[in-house]
Formats: sequence, structure tokens, C-alpha cells
Amino acid sequence: MGIEEIITTPLIERNADDLLELASGRLVELVGEPGGGLTRLGLRMLAGHSKVSTVVVVDTRGWISPAAAWEVGVDPENLVVVRCPDHQLWPKVTAALLEGVRAVYAEVPLRFREQDVRRLAALARARKVALAMRSTGPGLPGGLAHLRLRAIGVTWEGAEQGHGRLRRRRLVIEATGKGVAGIPRIIEVEDEGTDAVRLVSNVVVDQARRAVG
Amino acid sequence: MWSLTRPDAPSGRPVLVVDDRVTGATPEVLAAGVTLGMPRREAEALASFAVVLERDAAEEARRFERIVAAVEELVPRVEPVSPGLLYVPVAGAVRYYGSEVELAERVAKEMDRLMGGRMGGDALIGIADGPFAARWAAASAKVGEPLIVADTAAFLSRLDLSVLREAMGGDEMIHTFRWLGIATLGELARLPRDALASRFGKEGVLAHRLATGEDRPVDPREIPEDLTVVMEFEEPLETLDAVAFAGRVLAERLSKALRQRGVAPHALVIGVRSGEGEERVRVWRSADPFTERSISERVWWQLRAWVEGPGVPGGIVRLTIAPSDLSGEGRQLGLFADESSRAETERALARAQALLGPDQVLQGRPQGGRLPGERVSWSRWGEEPAKPDRDPAAPWPGATPPPSPALVLDRAVPLEVEWEDGMPSRIRLGSRWEPVLTWSGPWRLTGQWWNGRPDLDRYQIVTSVGAILCVVCDGKAYLAAVYD
Repeated sequence: MGIEEIITTPLIERNADDLLELASGRLVELVGEPGGGLTRLGLRMLAGHSKVSTVVVVDTRGWISPAAAWEVGVDPENLVVVRCPDHQLWPKVTAALLEGVRAVYAEVPLRFREQDVRRLAALARARKVALAMRSTGPGLPGGLAHLRLRAIGVTWEGAEQGHGRLRRRRLVIEATGKGVAGIPRIIEVEDEGTDAVRLVSNVVVDQARRAVG
Repeated sequence: MWSLTRPDAPSGRPVLVVDDRVTGATPEVLAAGVTLGMPRREAEALASFAVVLERDAAEEARRFERIVAAVEELVPRVEPVSPGLLYVPVAGAVRYYGSEVELAERVAKEMDRLMGGRMGGDALIGIADGPFAARWAAASAKVGEPLIVADTAAFLSRLDLSVLREAMGGDEMIHTFRWLGIATLGELARLPRDALASRFGKEGVLAHRLATGEDRPVDPREIPEDLTVVMEFEEPLETLDAVAFAGRVLAERLSKALRQRGVAPHALVIGVRSGEGEERVRVWRSADPFTERSISERVWWQLRAWVEGPGVPGGIVRLTIAPSDLSGEGRQLGLFADESSRAETERALARAQALLGPDQVLQGRPQGGRLPGERVSWSRWGEEPAKPDRDPAAPWPGATPPPSPALVLDRAVPLEVEWEDGMPSRIRLGSRWEPVLTWSGPWRLTGQWWNGRPDLDRYQIVTSVGAILCVVCDGKAYLAAVYD
């Protein structure tokens, strides 16, 4: 990825931090290979909601660790992890949760039916549930998510050929969809292992020259 | 206070009556260690030999209605709290009957007439200053021997802290008090209130008020005229279904009005007028403000009790519900944390539990440990969390440092790693090899050789797609966690 190719026009028409918030009735899709930091980013989106109500994580592999969620500010008392390894039950379970929970982070199984995901998105809108979906496969059908965040690069600081330890991650993300008024943007998110996950830059990408991949 | 019997219980067999907690039990079950108020699962484990019956609160209320009506003949405006428990304001009645002893005897005689059998028809009667003390005076009384408390503070001071369970909504604070060496209400009452307020907040002050006999503070206000909801029917309602429907609609209308004003009642006055012009009124009381659900419940219990019990001659032509003892304090809820949304959340999680099984709906709590997977203590949602095996506040030298990996594998998966001079150079992710950009480690974790646990070396490995935690044991590499 060539950062130098990005036209760095500051985004001034909206609060950049809003991109990391999970608004009620909105679906945010997180796309990228495991290891990029999107799970942690998705958990961080639940933090504000967990201050006032129960938030739920739908875990399709049984791997999600609440310790990472606590570090990014999710209240342990208000976090419930629902493990759903059966991809056939996944739509039913997620729909049941959307009926009564205000914020949900759901991993999407590798095999899913498009109509199920469309129904879940509609249900989240109708019930005004803040919903983040994490795709590890090809992603959700186009146009479904209010905001689509796709990881396009990750770097770590702190570890040096055996010395030190992982300290700070910088995650480069492409944001697309209605959540950015249809204008793709590249954002960088910095994570130091605390709840201070923050957006450090936010630039508009020139469609003709954007360097993503 | 009355013990309600279950006519459908099999005779001669131990019986446990439950909802979420134990509401009744036969002596054999109690002898096995079961106590009233104990969580259902715990009780079922202790008394696996008992027949378990689900509590039917509406049926209990219907049967209790006879008792309430009889006491109301002696003292007006009685306040049923729940089936089996009735508060009777005695100040006026004592003047009328001459003394508290006279009043208690009149009530006991009336129960004799109604129920037959022993003195007081199995009623336990207690008289004290305030509902909390009176409730526990009744619990301490014997059948046929009403307990009249002259010195409420002295009486309360001898009670065990467990009497606070209902008012505190659980055992957590009681356990904390016991841990601090406080065993009775008297010892709690001797603590300075401001110290309890600063340590335990509003709940601590409530516990202290109860312990000192001041009882729960209620902030009564005038009932605004428009909060009383009324429904009149041209055709008298005679069937239970029709009455239940009308009651539910009216209860919802009242709940909405209360919600809009941000208040909640501590008492509900439910009234009906019959087709023959007879008026019936019943006051239901609750120590905690009524919620939407509990309003609907009380209305349903009362209407069912009237319709299925003595009956309403000529059917119901008018139904009213008036909130009383309104408290703004009880409804100071968070922006989103209203009672109905909590109930919705619980229903949603219960549905997920039904689909997946209870072991798949979990809550984690911090505990100590050196590997990421050891630092979460899991418990089933809805159950008391297990005490963490390892103290999270204790130092854990050698623990994997933060940030914590977001994905921790439930079992270590073999990982192909290429090493050059003892340093990782490439790892295999799926079908491709990824060059190692940098890494940290190894951090040695000395195993418990006496338990057969080998030594482990941990590496944080960074590639172009992210970072992983790799564990090397006996020369073999495993994927332990992903920094996703």
C-alpha cells in the first residue's frame, strides 16, 4: 500500500470520531483477515453502550476473549458472550438477540445465506439496535451496511527482533458506504492496549488514485 | 402472614415450590438444607428427592383473597404485599378495639371462624412500628401467639442479617457485611450511617434505615387526578378472559402515564363496580416501586381472585386503578436502562440459551493468570458467577503483557514455523507462507513439573497481516492467540 498516493484532504464536515461509534439502528461491517485488529475495534464500539445496557458478542468460533473487550472499555458486568458454532442456528440466534439487546457485535460465519443477513440488517434497523458484523470471508452483500470498514494494512510498534513487546498498533482502514456520505475515506486507528483506541487521521481518497488493496 | 398450601401436592412426599427461587418447602426438604429464597438450582441440587412444583402466584392470590377480605372486615384499607403477606395499619384499629392484644385476638378469632383448626387458622401475626419490623415480628411469632413488639429497635437488633435479603435484592451486600464481621441488624445499626453511605451508597443507607427501625423512606405525594385510570363497560364483563383483557389494557395505560411523569407507585388501589352497584377496592403494596410488569401482575391476580373467588354479581361495569404513594426516587433510571428494556434483554438471552443450550451463553469475569486464556473466569449467564480460581489483583510475574489478544484459541493449534538460527523467519497461515517482520520473545513460562506441565516459550510474531501469540513446547510450535 502506498500511503504517499493518498490525497490528504482533511475531513471537516463531520466529527471523525463518529466513525468509531456504533449508532442505534445502524449496521457497521468490519471486513478483513484475522490479525488486523478488527475484532478489537468492533468490541471497542460496544464500550459506550455497555455503560447503560447489556451488550452481546456472537462468537462463531469460541475464540473471542472478553479480556480484550474489558481493555477497550466494555463493562464486564454488561457483556455477554453467545457462542454459536452452528452456522444454521446463527441467523435465529442473532435475530433473537436483536429483539432485545441494544448493541450486538456478531461474527458472520463463513457460510451464510444472503437473505438471512438482509433480514438481520432490517431487524436491527427496525429495533434500533446498534449492530457490528465481522466478516472473515468475502463480506456482506453490497449496500447492506451503513458503514463498511475494511482493513487494508496493519503495523505494530514495540517488538524488535526478539526484544520488547507489542505496544502500539496502527490499523489502516478504508471506510465506505452511507456512513461516509458515499465518499470513500482512509482512516488510521491507533491502539495502545487501553480504551484509548483512537482515530489518528482521516483523509478523503481520490477515487482515481486511491491505493487500497 | 399465612402459609399457603398446595392442594395439588402429592400427599406424604417431600415438595419444593419454586419460581426462580424457593417459595415453599415441606419440613423434609428444609431439613436437607434448603431455605426459602434460595436459588432454584441450588435447592434442586440439595433436595433432589423432592417433587418440584412451579409456583402459581395468581392462584395463590385467588386463595389468599378470602383471608384479605376477612381481615378487611375488621380493619379497613389493608395492604396485601404478596400472596400470604398482608400489612394492616393498626393505629386507628387499636383505638377502636382497645389495645394491640385485643386487635390481634380479634384477627386470630376471625381466622378461626374462617379457616377452622388451630388458633388463628395458621396465621402468624406480628405488630411493630413499620412494615419491615412487623413482617419479621410475624415471622418470629408462633401460631396462636401473636408477637407484639414493644421496643422495635431492640427486636430488630437481635435479627440475623439475612432478613435484609428481600430488601437488598440478593445476598451480595449481606456477604460483604458478614465479611466485615457484622452478623446482626443491631451491629449494623451501630455503624455510622454516613460511613455506610460512602462505602455502599444508597443501598447501604437503606440497610441502615431498616436495621434502626426507620424502615424504607417513602416519598408520598398527592395522587394527581389524571393518573387514576378508569374503564367503564356498557356490557358487564363476566368471563375471566374479558376481565383479564380489560385489566391488561388498563394496566398498560397506567404504566404509560407513570412513565411519562417519571414516577412509580408504592401502592396500587384496584377497584371494580359490579352490575348490581357493589364497589370493591383492594390496595396492593410493595416495598419497591411497582414496575410495569408488577402492575400488570397485581391487577391480574386481583381480578382473577374476585372473579374466580366470590364472583362479581352482575359482572364488572367499571374498573379503576389508582397509583398511590408515588415515588420519583424509584424511577431514576438511566437513559436506556428502563425496566422494560432489561426484561427484553433477559428474554432475548433466554431465547438464545434455549436455542444453543446454557453453556453457550456466558459471562466472563477477570481472574489472574499468565496465559491469555487463563485470565477469564467463565460462568453461565443468569447464574451466580463462580468465584475466580486465581486472584486478578495478585501479581502475576511472567504474565503475557497487554494488549490482550482478542482471539484466544480454546485449544492450541499446531503452527508451522520456519526457524533460522533459533529465530522465526516464516510462518504458515492457511495455504501460504508469511515472512516474519519482527517478533518478541521467547518468554519462558516454567511449567509445574510436579503436575506434568512442561515449560513453554511464548513468542509474539508480527507479519504483514497482523500479530499472533505463538507457544513453543517440546520443540513444537502452536498458535495460542491472535491479536485481532
